[in-house]
Amino acid sequence: MELTRREALRGVVSKCIPVATAALAFPAAEAAETVSQPKAPVGMLYDATLCIGCKACVVACAEANDLPRDVSLDGLHQAPEDLNAFTKNIIKLYKPQEHSPDSFVKQQCMHCLDPACVAACPFKALWKDDGNGVVAWEPSRCIGCRYCEIACPYHVPKFEWDRINPKIVKCELCGPRLAKGYEPACTSVCPTHAVIFGPREDLLSQAKARIGQSPDKYFENRVYGEHEAGGTQVLYLSHVPFEDIGLPDLGTAPIPGELKWQKRIYKFLALPLLMYAVLAGVMRKHWTDHRREMREEEERTGLRPQL
Amino acid sequence: MKHVIVRWQRGVPVYAVRKITPFFVFLCVMGGLAIVLSAYREWAGLGPVTGMNDIYAWGIWKTFNTMVLTGLGSGGFSIGIAAWILGRRDLHCVMRTAVLTSFVAYFSGLVALGVDVGRPWNFYLVLMPWKWNAHSPLMEVCLCMPLYACIPLFLENTPPLIERWYYTWPRFRPFMMRYLVPVIRATYPYVVALAYALPMMHQSSLGALMLLGGSRVHVLWQTPFLPLLYVWAAGFLGYACVIGVLMVACLSWKRPMDMNILGVLARIMCWLVLSWNAFRFVDILLRGQIGAAFAFDHFSLLFWLETLLLAGPSVYLLSGANRPIASRLFLADLLIAIGGMLYRFDPTTFVFTARAGAVYFPSAIEVLIAAGFVCLAISAFVLAAKYLPILPAALRGWYDMEHYARVVHPDWKLETHDFSHHNRPNFAD
Amino acid sequence: MAWSRKPKATVATHLKRCGVPRRDFLQFCTQLMVAAPWGLAITEKATAAEVARDIGKARRPSVIWLHFQDCTGCSETLLRTSKPDLADLILHVISLDYHETLMAACGHQAEAALSQAVKDNAGNFVLVVEGSIPTKDQGIYMKLAGRPALNVLQDVAAQAGAIIAIGSCASWGGIPSADPNPTGAVGVDDIIKNKPVVNLPGCPPNPYTLLGVVFQFARKGTLPELDELHRPKFAYDRVIHDHCPRRAHFDAGRFSLQYGDEGHRHGWCLYKLGCKGPDTHAGCSTRHFNEIPDVWPIGIGAPCIGCTEKHLAFRMPLFDLVPIHNATPPDTYPPVHTAAGSISAAGAGMVGLIGGALGGAAWVAARRIRSSEEEAAIIEARLENPDKDHPDAEGR
Repeated sequence: MELTRREALRGVVSKCIPVATAALAFPAAEAAETVSQPKAPVGMLYDATLCIGCKACVVACAEANDLPRDVSLDGLHQAPEDLNAFTKNIIKLYKPQEHSPDSFVKQQCMHCLDPACVAACPFKALWKDDGNGVVAWEPSRCIGCRYCEIACPYHVPKFEWDRINPKIVKCELCGPRLAKGYEPACTSVCPTHAVIFGPREDLLSQAKARIGQSPDKYFENRVYGEHEAGGTQVLYLSHVPFEDIGLPDLGTAPIPGELKWQKRIYKFLALPLLMYAVLAGVMRKHWTDHRREMREEEERTGLRPQL
Repeated sequence: MKHVIVRWQRGVPVYAVRKITPFFVFLCVMGGLAIVLSAYREWAGLGPVTGMNDIYAWGIWKTFNTMVLTGLGSGGFSIGIAAWILGRRDLHCVMRTAVLTSFVAYFSGLVALGVDVGRPWNFYLVLMPWKWNAHSPLMEVCLCMPLYACIPLFLENTPPLIERWYYTWPRFRPFMMRYLVPVIRATYPYVVALAYALPMMHQSSLGALMLLGGSRVHVLWQTPFLPLLYVWAAGFLGYACVIGVLMVACLSWKRPMDMNILGVLARIMCWLVLSWNAFRFVDILLRGQIGAAFAFDHFSLLFWLETLLLAGPSVYLLSGANRPIASRLFLADLLIAIGGMLYRFDPTTFVFTARAGAVYFPSAIEVLIAAGFVCLAISAFVLAAKYLPILPAALRGWYDMEHYARVVHPDWKLETHDFSHHNRPNFAD
Repeated sequence: MAWSRKPKATVATHLKRCGVPRRDFLQFCTQLMVAAPWGLAITEKATAAEVARDIGKARRPSVIWLHFQDCTGCSETLLRTSKPDLADLILHVISLDYHETLMAACGHQAEAALSQAVKDNAGNFVLVVEGSIPTKDQGIYMKLAGRPALNVLQDVAAQAGAIIAIGSCASWGGIPSADPNPTGAVGVDDIIKNKPVVNLPGCPPNPYTLLGVVFQFARKGTLPELDELHRPKFAYDRVIHDHCPRRAHFDAGRFSLQYGDEGHRHGWCLYKLGCKGPDTHAGCSTRHFNEIPDVWPIGIGAPCIGCTEKHLAFRMPLFDLVPIHNATPPDTYPPVHTAAGSISAAGAGMVGLIGGALGGAAWVAARRIRSSEEEAAIIEARLENPDKDHPDAEGR
């Protein structure tokens, strides 16, 4: 039985257009973020003007997380040049010239409110806690594809390149310590309280209070991380430009927002199914035509036809 | 003597040539080397074996073997749409070559992907939908690409095999005719429709991967339309690859070329390329980034290189005088293929400025493994072309082969049917 | 003290006459070399023996020592030695012509001694000033023999060959100048503007710093290179922090948090207890006091109070933290952006090889590839115009 083109088209339209319109009508209803907002986000406030570069936080982090010795720089002991598979937290120095104003900067995971790494990970190995918003890594789900390293705008997740059973290594805000009611290791040892721990709201208001008390001390009189890439849970105050201490200018849109059209197109798999239905309908029609033509050709040439 | 016009009509195996040639041995050696080195990589870890680092975490395996080569292997998808969906009957004869090219390219790309990931033992999670992150484009690729390769693409490639068995394995014939052929007859259109729906999804998801790169991908490449541009590029890359493969195969095995069909393929490809280029330009203009194209840095150079490599030969081939001349068609097609490959490769490597000062260059072992997998794919293609009726030839070619086979393989039953409609075993029925 | 009108004997002669053992003198010269390893003209010699020979040739310099608002600590530091003989040694190698604490005379005799010493050695003597000078209310808060210190200083300094302000008080005001500075105490170089003044701040400074300056003046007639605060660079060019034996603890983040805690007992860094080392220019970390090794504040577990620095000592609270200067990457901290990755030569070679091979193959293929129509056209053309040399040509 062969369908006429009209019949086929009518069948397709009647079945699939409603599904497609339903899918396309939902863009407003979909969540703006990939992950739901944490209920009580905690974070850190780092004030670069208070940091003295003592690196107590680096030592405390290595101790609390049981990290192996970092001998990444030519075997030199504990002198990493960047975050790596042995270093979840690092102090760097911005000092362009001899007498120019300098600044230390503490680098670790920013625990974004809408993390790019969580949106990128195919099997949710990187996940964001509902309660305190900490972004953590689950080994049993990771396939080692390193898409998180590509996605993160701060270049935070690091990979254990030299191991057969490699992990993704990054700051996880000392989850076990938080569970027991302690602070993260780095904030608990800072001698000048340059980095402090607390609920994100409190830290934000504290940061703004500091800015208010010393106008023009802090760069652009604002906190980095309040709105950047949708907001991060680790906030920064600095007296030098943020770009100079490695905090890129990201705009206020969350990075997973780049995938919004992908999400819309694949919602409920509606559009792909519609596409398949159209293709299948056309194929069915052409297939029957093809069979007829092959039969005619076989009679003409006497050769078994090829598919 | 008048013009000799060759019309391709059906697939014919490459007969009367040695199965094992020095080139084939070289391909197998390279492929074997790749397999051995991959085992070494599994044993030693990614760091010591490759040049990848934390800033450039993706090396050439993901970006070249998977992204670029599966783009080249989209012939089955793009030519198939023209042949089946848009009803171009004359392209059916090259379909077998196209799907075989796709098959070897996809499998080699998937094996390279498997070698590249650091914790492949967790890949079983792809079978558990509740563990998926549906928003991740890489999830979509990890799901859709193996699904496509293993089901529709594989099934599309079985007809030549079954055909061979029909002739060389008479005892299988009754089973084939009674059970296998009716099943194929009933399901083929739906399998083929799936074979066109799935590549649209994962080829565009390959493009969506770099959307998360944000401003680190240079503005001349980074666009919300990146998935569309990628799948469109896969479209014309498929054409370019199949044209190239056909020409090289005909050259090496001394088979006559049907310049008409090649010309048709080339024309479709040129229109695809030029419209793609126009879309890209309009997109750059509307995003206000056209100034970057004239910035005279290496980004703008790469951009113009891509554009020239693609648009120049396309315009050249649009003129009817150039398409019938094989050498011109070949070179132009090669340039278009290179341009398209360059486009799909750029956003992950050359124009991805992750951080100032960071650099990535593949190590020697990485290059060897990548090249070895490509050689494996080519050797599989060569072997298949010699055993199975894949490469298109004129009807006369089939008769020549039949004659040859009757002499060399007397056990093959090359004609067993009578012409009555009723008991004609015919799986195109 | 000797008011001798005879020309001064050389140091070597004098020492011999007094029966000071040569070994003690050599030891003294070694100490001088430790105190002034570079930047001092006389200790550029390689060995103590050479220094001894150099100093031995110098005439014993005449030193006039004035006390103003002081605690006499700087004099004490000059005498505070572990070997009793060394005090004598110092007094034998320099001619201390006027020193109120050490000289036997007093009253009018002392006044006369001062004016005589100034007259006898006019233009040649080294004036060492200890203590700050009050300037408020015409300087009545410190009087020497009924005259304000201000005037005494101006008169004596006018005749001096070299002026050294020893101690923080003489350098910039010291303790008397602490808030609210009721006497208007200032250092010597706030009063003497027309002559070079060498400041040796410290509370007290190391005696060998003084001796180094004095001997250079005696031997060569020059003063050592001074920084912008007139301090000799050989002693004050570095901050304590850059030379501190506890620096490794600072770098590793090990700090004492309370006196007597475990860190304190282990000798950890005292920064968190308010050590001013990072902002204090002095040489105490290498030139310890009383000639006993590790006898210096940080060495015994007391944080540095920054006694040489005007903005720190007696101004900044003891437990307040100072800023750290001069941390430079990459020795201490990595820069914000580091390079990563490298270009492998073998990989590049391989890529080039493959690219070249493919390009060559493509070129060869392009030359040989011809469609049947083209071949047919060629054959037709050849049939119409046979090439007699071609093996396929007809008629051959």
